[in-house]
Amino acid sequence: MKREHQETEAGGGGGYHVATAGDMTGAKGKMTAGPSMGTEDDDCGVDELLAALGYKVRSSEMADVAQKLEQLEVAMASTAAAASDDASVLPQIASDTVHYDPSDLATWLDSMLSELNAPPPPLPPPPPVAASVHHHHHRFDVSTASAVSEPPAITTVAPLRPSDAYDFKPVPAPAAASGGRVVYGLDPQSEMIVSPRDQKRKRTCSPSSSSSRGAEAGRARGSRTEGASSAKPAAAVPVVVVDTQESGIRLVHALMACAEAVQQENLKAADALVKHISVLAASQDGPMRKVAGYFAAAIARRIYRRRPLSQVDRALDSPALDDLLHGHFYESCPYLKFAHFTANQAILEAFSSCRRVHVIDFGMRQGLQWPALLQALALRPEGPPSLRLTGIGPPQSDHSDALQQVGWKLAMLAKSIGVDFRYRGFVASSLADLESRMLLERDGNEGDRDDEGEEEAVAVNSVMELHRLLARTGALEKVLRMVLAVRPRIVTVVEEEANHNGGTFLDRFTEALHYYSSMFDSLEGSGGQAAEAGEEEQQQHRAMAEAYLGRQICNVVACEGAERTERHETLGQWRGRMARAGFEPAHLGSNAFKQASMLLALYAGGDGFRVEETDGCLTLGWHTRPLIATSAWRVSAAATR
Amino acid sequence: MTQFTRSAPPPPPLHPNGVGLCLAMDASKPSLYRSRPWPGLPVSSESLGSLNSVNCMEQLLVQCANAIESNDATLAQQILWVLNNIAPPDGDSNQRLTSAFLRALIARASKTGSCKMLTAVAARADADLALHVHRFSVIDLASFIDLTPWHRFGYTAANAAIAEAVEGVPAIHIVDLTTTHCMQMPTLIDLLANRPEGPPLIRLTVPSLTTTAPPPPMLDMSYDELGSRLVNFARSRNVAMEFMVIPSDPSDAFDSLIEQLRVQRLVSEDEVVIVNCQMLLHYIPEETVGAIATTMSVNSPTLSLRKMFLEALRGLEPTLVTVVDEDADFTESDLVGRLRSAFNYLWIPYDTVDTFLPRGSERRRWYEAGVRWKIENVIAQEGLQRVERVEPKGRWAQRMRAAGFRSAGFTEEAAAEVKSMLDEHAAGWGLKKEEEELVLTWKGHNVVFAAAWVPC
Repeated sequence: MKREHQETEAGGGGGYHVATAGDMTGAKGKMTAGPSMGTEDDDCGVDELLAALGYKVRSSEMADVAQKLEQLEVAMASTAAAASDDASVLPQIASDTVHYDPSDLATWLDSMLSELNAPPPPLPPPPPVAASVHHHHHRFDVSTASAVSEPPAITTVAPLRPSDAYDFKPVPAPAAASGGRVVYGLDPQSEMIVSPRDQKRKRTCSPSSSSSRGAEAGRARGSRTEGASSAKPAAAVPVVVVDTQESGIRLVHALMACAEAVQQENLKAADALVKHISVLAASQDGPMRKVAGYFAAAIARRIYRRRPLSQVDRALDSPALDDLLHGHFYESCPYLKFAHFTANQAILEAFSSCRRVHVIDFGMRQGLQWPALLQALALRPEGPPSLRLTGIGPPQSDHSDALQQVGWKLAMLAKSIGVDFRYRGFVASSLADLESRMLLERDGNEGDRDDEGEEEAVAVNSVMELHRLLARTGALEKVLRMVLAVRPRIVTVVEEEANHNGGTFLDRFTEALHYYSSMFDSLEGSGGQAAEAGEEEQQQHRAMAEAYLGRQICNVVACEGAERTERHETLGQWRGRMARAGFEPAHLGSNAFKQASMLLALYAGGDGFRVEETDGCLTLGWHTRPLIATSAWRVSAAATR
Repeated sequence: MTQFTRSAPPPPPLHPNGVGLCLAMDASKPSLYRSRPWPGLPVSSESLGSLNSVNCMEQLLVQCANAIESNDATLAQQILWVLNNIAPPDGDSNQRLTSAFLRALIARASKTGSCKMLTAVAARADADLALHVHRFSVIDLASFIDLTPWHRFGYTAANAAIAEAVEGVPAIHIVDLTTTHCMQMPTLIDLLANRPEGPPLIRLTVPSLTTTAPPPPMLDMSYDELGSRLVNFARSRNVAMEFMVIPSDPSDAFDSLIEQLRVQRLVSEDEVVIVNCQMLLHYIPEETVGAIATTMSVNSPTLSLRKMFLEALRGLEPTLVTVVDEDADFTESDLVGRLRSAFNYLWIPYDTVDTFLPRGSERRRWYEAGVRWKIENVIAQEGLQRVERVEPKGRWAQRMRAAGFRSAGFTEEAAAEVKSMLDEHAAGWGLKKEEEELVLTWKGHNVVFAAAWVPC
């Protein structure tokens, strides 16, 4: 049975269809999230990956699109080579860059191809479909080197040779040129193929080197390009068979170059690069392709300044959809489970022997964290306490009371296991809108002490919520003051372990690219855990989890100002903020470490996950890279006074 | 802007068909919420309705076992987390019981994985267990076993039956099938040494288990050494005794032992054969092991090693076969069924231990390690490695009858012996007679049964 969730908005045009999890048995792994606008049919089978990137491609058209991508790539290369002196060869790229929104990939490809086809250029025969997207070996005709030098008023990038990938730099051009072009040309000295190992090393280029390259690029802007013309003649350049790893490195470099161009506000170059990235990404497999796709989509969004948000975007911004994706992220990898176990451990231990306890959850969502704590409290040796839970969540776009429903389910669980339970939901668009007295407010017949005068023990729990407050000046400080005012016994904080909130755009981009590459890698790595229990289901969870992370990538890369809410900061930075706000660290016990390790060991799937303890905080990472961190805090002695 | 939602909402209408509230609520809202709103813990008030914490723990263990068996990692992790927090390994008896099952489930889960961290966890658990499996000296083991009627009950009942069966017999051959390293024999030798007609000649044959990981308790000496001690002890009581060790194993129904006994039977026909089975028979694989039947290359596909062994015993024309074993059923193929059945039996050793060993004592650690060994074997092992295949007394009685034995029962004197032995122990122990068998009880629950069988 198909259930639809029809959003009813004042405008009437904002309806959207989202397949619920239950619907996906029929169309596995497909999630439709497109604008309906009254014309779109429900199960249109829009490719979910591309859809998540903002591309609307029907599955039925996938082969076609892939083939066109291939054609386009070849066409771009050969046309450029054949007409190296023709300024109008790539008019679309030349003049229309900023207007192209690749949301509709198929149409864009069509138009690109038609541009290239008429007047008929020597298009090679279309390659077989099978040779397109999923091919590990991809042929690049690199005869374009000389072509890029000529066309005036064109900002473009030649399809890159392997050598470009590690020696990617703007080529200073003679003064005769018209303005507004940068050519990322080829260094003729670096023709040799570098082993993948070397390339890997080079791939981790430091931000400083990339920004210096960016500066060069900036200097190069407006000057004529001649470097490429000094490269070898097209005919002399051999056709190179590129393996996926190699093109993966090129992809990363193209992404970095694109971000650089964005930072330099060279949008034309960025535009050309972002299109090139789409082509490169299509030749990739696995996590790299996905992560590059999300970054490309995000940076494209930044370039094309897709604001105000379209209806699709607004649909995608619905908290209900976010909760849905969050749920899949929870299922498919250990990060949120780790967050919940470690935070719950600290809360459970802090509540030890307390008869009246109160948990304030800054991000209730579907309440996934609480059944386990309820159960543990119910069966603790000293008997269950009376538990108050205050859940905070954003307003729902359909004005449904999601918070209340979650509370209901928890209340029923509590009843069935004999825990005295009270629940209160607060709808708030920002935590900064709350006041401490609201959180502590009680029903009339309750005192703040029980018969024996025991005060309520309060825990404040925030799983990946605090960083959002950094988007508004003073908001975090206000919230932390509020937390201080409720006099919590424990404050548990889980945050992404990354700095996505400092430095230049390029720094942020680089950091995010590394961070999310590890994340996507680990998603792939944690796939083993349920291999037997339904590969399909696991695939579905993973695709949705990727979409969840993709939204974060989009926010980090494409948004600025108050809209940029994914302002992750590192544990060190949080330590500073918490200390300044009057909190001192409460060490997470070795028990929490052991538990987290054991649970991960049992079910994390791959060997790549690592739990580490640093100064009383726990991190979970993928190989050597910590990705999320749990810390616990209490009101410092100084702040108590 | 904030919006306050009332904290005490009115109860939602119950679905007319009585199906859970969650279902009704989900149906009322065609939302984006997933079909399984709680990847967490069971919400059904039916499953966790009782506030009795032992029941809750059993329920959680069952849910955990189900989650592990169905590869539901999320649920398994959540329940493991809860159990870890509510069942400390040094808590009260129920917590320790739960903790032992929890560890066994973790061991099971870790055996199915291939992760390195996992194997490390499993290895650590094994090392932990091995560390606590103590090697006893004979003296220590004797007094250790005397702490509780668990084994003493069977010893006493069997000794009384044996003494009666060999009245006036000059030469007896005792086959002692036991996990407790002949600890019953000194008492029996003593008993026979003092009988009015004078002591018989005793031949004692025991199998020494060839398996690499025999069940505890373990002895710190070889069976040859043990034998010479027993012979010396018998001599001190003016009893002539021969001791023979046959390397043999329950996994092949004690094949080599049976062979040896057949030969022995041919050369000394006038000997009376007594087979004393003390909690060892359940290590012979029963029918649900399945796979062995084919590897044994016997024509019958429904081959049962237990059946085969009992028929072989019957062929020896023994004067008496005593069968003592734990009255429980650990043979279900289904993990959850086995878990429930083991949980509802093995609480007894944890419950009783407080009556005879102080907390924190070394011997208590050894004792509980023995129980944990059982739990781990029942829960975490499969196939031939799962050796704790205890069957209830009714099923053994069926098997004995099918092999051509009839119940000989116990005399009033035997029962009185057992009763007076129980008087030395805590008040919770009891004795009851079911059909012709004696049953040791703890707080009314069957613990161990003793039966005496003779050929039809």
